[in-house]
Amino acid sequence: MAVTLRKSTELFTVAKWLTRRDCRTLSSLPEKAKLASLEVTEKAETSRRRPKKVNPLLENRHAYPEFLPDPNPKWRNSLREKLERADMLKRRNQIDIPEFYVGSILAVTIADPHSQGKTNRFVGICIERKGCGLRAEFTLRNVVDHQGVEVRYDLYDPTIHKIQVLRVEKRLDDKLFYLRDALPEYSTFSFDMDPEILPEGTPVPINPVKVELKPKPWLERWERQELQGISNIEQYLTKKDKVRRELRKTPWEKYDLMKQYRKTIPIEEQTDIWSEVNSQLQQLQLARKKSTRKRTFSAPKTQLG
Amino acid sequence: MNQAEVSKLVSKLRMNIKPEHRRLKNLKGPEGRIDKLRKTVTGLIKFERIELNINRGDEARQYAERLISEAIRHGDCHKPTMDMANFWLLEKQLVHKLFKVLVPRFENSTVSYTKMIKAPKAQNTEHTNKIVLELRGNPYPDLIVKQPNNRLWIQNVLLDAAKYDYRQSKISEIAANIGKDTQLSSSSLTANNKGGTQKEES
Repeated sequence: MAVTLRKSTELFTVAKWLTRRDCRTLSSLPEKAKLASLEVTEKAETSRRRPKKVNPLLENRHAYPEFLPDPNPKWRNSLREKLERADMLKRRNQIDIPEFYVGSILAVTIADPHSQGKTNRFVGICIERKGCGLRAEFTLRNVVDHQGVEVRYDLYDPTIHKIQVLRVEKRLDDKLFYLRDALPEYSTFSFDMDPEILPEGTPVPINPVKVELKPKPWLERWERQELQGISNIEQYLTKKDKVRRELRKTPWEKYDLMKQYRKTIPIEEQTDIWSEVNSQLQQLQLARKKSTRKRTFSAPKTQLG
Repeated sequence: MNQAEVSKLVSKLRMNIKPEHRRLKNLKGPEGRIDKLRKTVTGLIKFERIELNINRGDEARQYAERLISEAIRHGDCHKPTMDMANFWLLEKQLVHKLFKVLVPRFENSTVSYTKMIKAPKAQNTEHTNKIVLELRGNPYPDLIVKQPNNRLWIQNVLLDAAKYDYRQSKISEIAANIGKDTQLSSSSLTANNKGGTQKEES
């Protein structure tokens, strides 16, 4: 009996292994994603008080942070915010503004009356996203001819012809200003880079690369900013730097509940905003998916003669 | 123009929040301010009603509200929230109170979790404005009495007693007059009786 059981279990494992292999070949999703989802369900079962379900609309806040207004109540104006949102959607109907994050690599084509073809294309890594509403902006950085170049673009600038995402990924930090003091190879990207297309449904990958800094002098005191993406900062610090860093630490700040509150837009306000904007954003996303499919499955041109 | 932070989600507080925080004069700076507020928040959760100066009271109220709303949103199995409660409540048993007493109390509430009431000023003093800060649903008697015409108020009890005395004296007067009237004339008896009853009614 036992022998038969063992045999059957062996057969079962083999079958499972085979089927799993088959699934993997069919889908481009990594195995890790499956494991993560399983873990989440287990956690939900064990917890005594289940946390309330988060509205799926709120997930838009990562991809479109500029739709949220400035949290400072002095500068709030509900009418202006509404009008700006409408204008932003109008602009998004005109050109495709893709989803990108700090750390993504973008190519921006902009009207330039002085250049030869009346347009200028710049490729670089996004080191900062800033501002809200129509004033949203982002900064691209690249090293051209051994010279660091940074260009700041307004996201809703009417002179922008095209924004193309060459690689969608996040980095370990929210702002990558330390690339200015890092070795140039960390911010060098070739202008003829091909766009890398992520398979549908995969979460945005986080690039765990840690940059190496050049020796001092630096533009900022990077050691005081608790940055994750720097590997070799300790070797440049003097004893005094380390003491100062300890003195400057603010460990109570992560418990400052009102400081966090004053920097964010509460859920109730966010749901109003996203329910107003979501349908149009979804349509735009669908249109973008269609166009990318066309690009990937375009038929080869018939050659005459 | 700053971008709103999107890494954390917070639920809206049901009270007015000033655009900037108060400094709460302190030698140790921002750290000392947070320490002061920790003590006050702990006191509020412990005693449920405390009297404070308005500056410190209003600041502490915001932090207490945020702490309770976080506890309601995430429950007791969320590690960062537990960490937060541990930081803000200096006594360990109050963490249990927060999650086991206050969360069920305020779970379905539609108003703020705390209440701030102006306290009376002592006469001829130059103190700053005092307030009373309390958790809603506390076991103490209300500070603001909702019924303006309460029969048990001392002035109402005294007025009632005075009215009763007046009525009794009138009735005894009438009763004393009844015998005299019958002696005077038997023909006008009915009319007098009617008048007596009317007086009694009034």
